Amino acid sequence: MTLATLTRPWAAMSYGFLDASAKREMRRKIIKAIAVPGCQMPYASREVPIARGWGTGGLQVTLTLIKPASVVKVIDQGADDSVNAASIRRFLSRVSGAAETWDTLEATILQSRHRIPEERLRDDQVLVLQVPNPEPLRPVQPNMSIARQMHADADYGRLWLVLYEQMVRSGRIVQGAAYPSLVNGRHVMTPSPIPRWDVPKLHMAHHLTLLSAGREKRLYAVPPFTRVEPLVFSDVPYQVEDHAGLTCHRSGLSGVFMNEIPQDSGGSVFEASDSNLGIKAIRQAEGEATKIGPMWYENGELRP
Amino acid sequence: MSAPLPTVEDQRDTATFEALMWAMARPGTIHDLPEGLSDLILALVDRECKVMVDDPALARLVATTGATLVSASLADHAFCLSADRALAVLTALPGGSALYPDQGATLVLPARLGQGPALRLSGPGVDGTCDVRIGGLPDGFLAARAARCRYPEGIEIAFVDGRRVMGLPRSTTVKVL
Repeated sequence: MTLATLTRPWAAMSYGFLDASAKREMRRKIIKAIAVPGCQMPYASREVPIARGWGTGGLQVTLTLIKPASVVKVIDQGADDSVNAASIRRFLSRVSGAAETWDTLEATILQSRHRIPEERLRDDQVLVLQVPNPEPLRPVQPNMSIARQMHADADYGRLWLVLYEQMVRSGRIVQGAAYPSLVNGRHVMTPSPIPRWDVPKLHMAHHLTLLSAGREKRLYAVPPFTRVEPLVFSDVPYQVEDHAGLTCHRSGLSGVFMNEIPQDSGGSVFEASDSNLGIKAIRQAEGEATKIGPMWYENGELRP
Repeated sequence: MSAPLPTVEDQRDTATFEALMWAMARPGTIHDLPEGLSDLILALVDRECKVMVDDPALARLVATTGATLVSASLADHAFCLSADRALAVLTALPGGSALYPDQGATLVLPARLGQGPALRLSGPGVDGTCDVRIGGLPDGFLAARAARCRYPEGIEIAFVDGRRVMGLPRSTTVKVL
């Protein structure tokens, strides 16, 4: 064994930006995360050329999975064209040669900030969610050592207390995003700040979901066909946002998750949050051949 | 600027991980490795790892990765080619704890996929149940696994048959039919 056999030829950059040892660590942690669904696994969280808190966790997972044949879609609150999403997508294609897409149906890896697309994800797709705060217990227990013990003991009573207090104060559960959910009947996770609308899409899904928090250096996973149950009281059913009756003012779509756009007149109009679905609906209306895949929701109701 | 091209090693490691990731995410399904069991060593193990390996040739390969060679009770990854020793290794490997489930080890061992006793898998990644056959395991191996996998504690097992791999994460329940 000589030094030459252990060394690689010089290259300006590793394929997919992350070096081989960073990728190996990500691989080991992703395997453990899949094996214990919803349980947060610590990882080193390398530097990537965007600031922590702007999707570095999701970016590192995507860079570990990416290959030249990958097709990546990156969305930010449902939109493919936001600066953050466009920058991450362009970076991914530049360092890997992977193809870019806006279309949920074409993508093999979907990196997302705070939304899950409205079209159903398939068996072969990986959803990578960026997570700002991976610890569901942080609002009730800021000490992370004690929070770890609470996870070990499955001691989640205080999360139910938070929901109970919301009921008492407001008459309903007001938790709008990052709704705490029990995964595989054991670990409570925060599904990242996706709206309540999106949480049922993770339950017994066909796709693999990887959630990664770069700043907090933790990642966790929801494998396919895994129970994801939002915490609810038996007499207060889980409710998604009541968007069934709303219509997108640009595309005419209805029965999907909407963004409310305030108007100068004091009122508001609504716009489909999944922006590329809106684009596809407009193209279809104009007579172009565009395929819209099967949806999770029909008329605001989740399809089984 | 033209897009960078993956090296042969990059391609092999990414393909290996993809196979292992889907094998663990969908227990009972079989996925293809580029070459075989040694791919898993190269894709997963480096200087940060403590590895148990019972085969001299594989031990030399592990040594080139920089991993520390240790006994099973200290290892985070174990590559056990001998069926006779698999049971002892499984019993000795760290299984993590409820506090640190990530410290449970990963065990890779050869098996004959599609032969041997019929097993029914259920749990995360399995739509209902999934029937598989895994042969070449020592007697009592699955019972020992069940004893070690006190969820969320446990050990991940990758069964390798030539170039094929099947995953058995700790979350999977195995019933011998």
